[in-house]
Amino acid sequence: MSFRRLRAIARKEIHHIWRDRSTLILVLLTPTALLFLMAYALTVEIQHVPVAVLDYGRSATSRNFVQHLTAGDDLDLYAQVDSPEEIDAMLMRGEIKAALILPPDFDEALLSLQGLPLQIIIDGTEPESGGFAVEHMGQRAEQFVSQLLAADLQAAGLSANALQPIDLRVRTWYNPGLKSRNDLIPGLISIVLGFPALTVALTLAHEREHGTMEQLMATPVGRSELLLGKMVPYVVVGLLNAIFIPLLAMLWFKVPFNGNFLLFFGLSAVFLFAILGVGLVIGVFMRSQAAALALSFLLIFFPGFFMTGIFFPTVAMPEVVRLEALGLPGTHYAVITRGIFLPGVGLDVLWPYAVMMFGLGVAFVGVAALFFRKKLA
Amino acid sequence: MSDPIIYTQALTRDFGDVHAVDSLDLAIQPGTLFGLVGPDGAGKTTTLRLLAGLLKVTSGSATVAGFDLATQAEAIKPHIGYMAQQFSLYAQLSVLENLQFFAEIYEVPRADMAERTERLLTFAGLTEFKERRAAHLSGGMQKKLALACTLIHEPKILLLDEPTTGVDPISRREFWNILTDLYAEGITIVVSTPYMDEADRCSEVGLLYAGKLAMCAPPEQIRGQIEGEMIALVPAQWQAARDLIEPLPGVFEVQTYGEALHVLVDNAEQRLPEITAVLTQAGIDYSGARPAPTRMEEAFISLIRQMEA
Repeated sequence: MSFRRLRAIARKEIHHIWRDRSTLILVLLTPTALLFLMAYALTVEIQHVPVAVLDYGRSATSRNFVQHLTAGDDLDLYAQVDSPEEIDAMLMRGEIKAALILPPDFDEALLSLQGLPLQIIIDGTEPESGGFAVEHMGQRAEQFVSQLLAADLQAAGLSANALQPIDLRVRTWYNPGLKSRNDLIPGLISIVLGFPALTVALTLAHEREHGTMEQLMATPVGRSELLLGKMVPYVVVGLLNAIFIPLLAMLWFKVPFNGNFLLFFGLSAVFLFAILGVGLVIGVFMRSQAAALALSFLLIFFPGFFMTGIFFPTVAMPEVVRLEALGLPGTHYAVITRGIFLPGVGLDVLWPYAVMMFGLGVAFVGVAALFFRKKLA
Repeated sequence: MSDPIIYTQALTRDFGDVHAVDSLDLAIQPGTLFGLVGPDGAGKTTTLRLLAGLLKVTSGSATVAGFDLATQAEAIKPHIGYMAQQFSLYAQLSVLENLQFFAEIYEVPRADMAERTERLLTFAGLTEFKERRAAHLSGGMQKKLALACTLIHEPKILLLDEPTTGVDPISRREFWNILTDLYAEGITIVVSTPYMDEADRCSEVGLLYAGKLAMCAPPEQIRGQIEGEMIALVPAQWQAARDLIEPLPGVFEVQTYGEALHVLVDNAEQRLPEITAVLTQAGIDYSGARPAPTRMEEAFISLIRQMEA
């Protein structure tokens, strides 16, 4: 392998990125911009779900109950209605996501302690909001009943503490506020940092489409010189992104970064090597940019979302899928980014993932070099 | 005579059921300026790609610069300069950077690089444009730069696939002047071309037809191959004149060049008055009726017609 040729290819590629404004913007800003957009779009924090109430009870207690139900940020009282038809109409128009119907004998039912026959209607086309409403109404109702009972017991001279035999307090480690953004953003980094792989696949296909590849094939340039020369500039670009992105996460989204930045940077380099290997494989097999683009989405971004465990835990997947996920550099990198960001773990924990990524990188680059032929057909 | 520098024996390349190149036997001596002509789809590009080691050989054998095409394709590459038909330079690199890029790829000794790039820039007339990006060059300048890039490692053999297609006539002439200089230096050049005037400037011409070598000889010999003599004339109504002349005795074929007719006959001196008499009788005016030398173009069209018949 000639280092001189490898350097010539890499330098040419850097000129190409640097001098073509659209390519420059594409490779330097897209990962950061993607993270920015996805962090906003995908954060699943439901608040202010509009609900309607039909109160047949019309008592002081039922009014109190409704007030208690809608006192927080989770549920908003959209309207008090007088008939089920109105609920229907509001659901149809999408003005409310759920409705609550209180029975005429609300007070008696409450005091009889035989259970509270509440009717909740939800908009099944939006199960998340609907389910959320049911869950929160249930919690609020329980709170209301126990508060009421406690007041009664106190009036009767009994201790209200007797009513709380279990003191259940859930603590979430690493992410005390249970802010889903803190959880999501480190995972998303493993998707957006895969972007240079798409670009490297496209540039190989571009050279084929424009005939420069035919010219290169007629020269003594070696396969590995060509492929590694193509890869190096995108590792550099990727590492620039590996600086911007944690900064964006920390400064804009206030995600805590508890680990070692140099470790993050180093392991990102290993990830870039592996994911660019995937890009090379795509670029070697696909003859057109359109095909390379389609396959990149299929092999890099699609599994990034669904198989690496960012949104759906890998333990819940069938074994075949889990094994496949192990073959994706992103699966390992997602563990690394999340580990370094929140619990701030070190190489003592993360080394197996780093080794896996490196091994995958060697395998992908090997496959690319093996199947890259200096022949046109 | 020395050993041929390009030698093929029954060289064949199939694409599916089609023999793109069919049992090609070529022997090209060092220092030849070899013109590869033939209609579109005759296999010119496939032949050049095979010789450049860019396509797998289906059957047959070939040696280029003394190396076997099937087993030593990579060993051939340092000795050839190949220019593809859709040659595309790196648009974002300057003229000089394109040259330097190929110099690095061919591992031109560093001590020689500056001198060689300067010389090639002068040679191609691109010195004053050396800082310009390739994307901003005219078509003709791009072709000359492409040629310069294929020469940077001083190859023994140049393989050029229709290098002047789509180039204006002046640039075309300049390009051929450069090729003639290279020929004088002793480089072996194989160039495919759709232009017969270019074929005329070669030292040897190979006519490809349907993947086969139909003829291979110096241009004057190919022109001499053609049976009969040529008469040129410009009639006032060329369509009517053509229909009148075609069935006359001793006329092999009539080719039209704009409003001019080139008539291939068995004996020009005898047939010229006969043809003009027929035209006068039909009341068709004409001018410039004279015996004309047969050109490559007529010879080529005539040969193709014979093969298609």
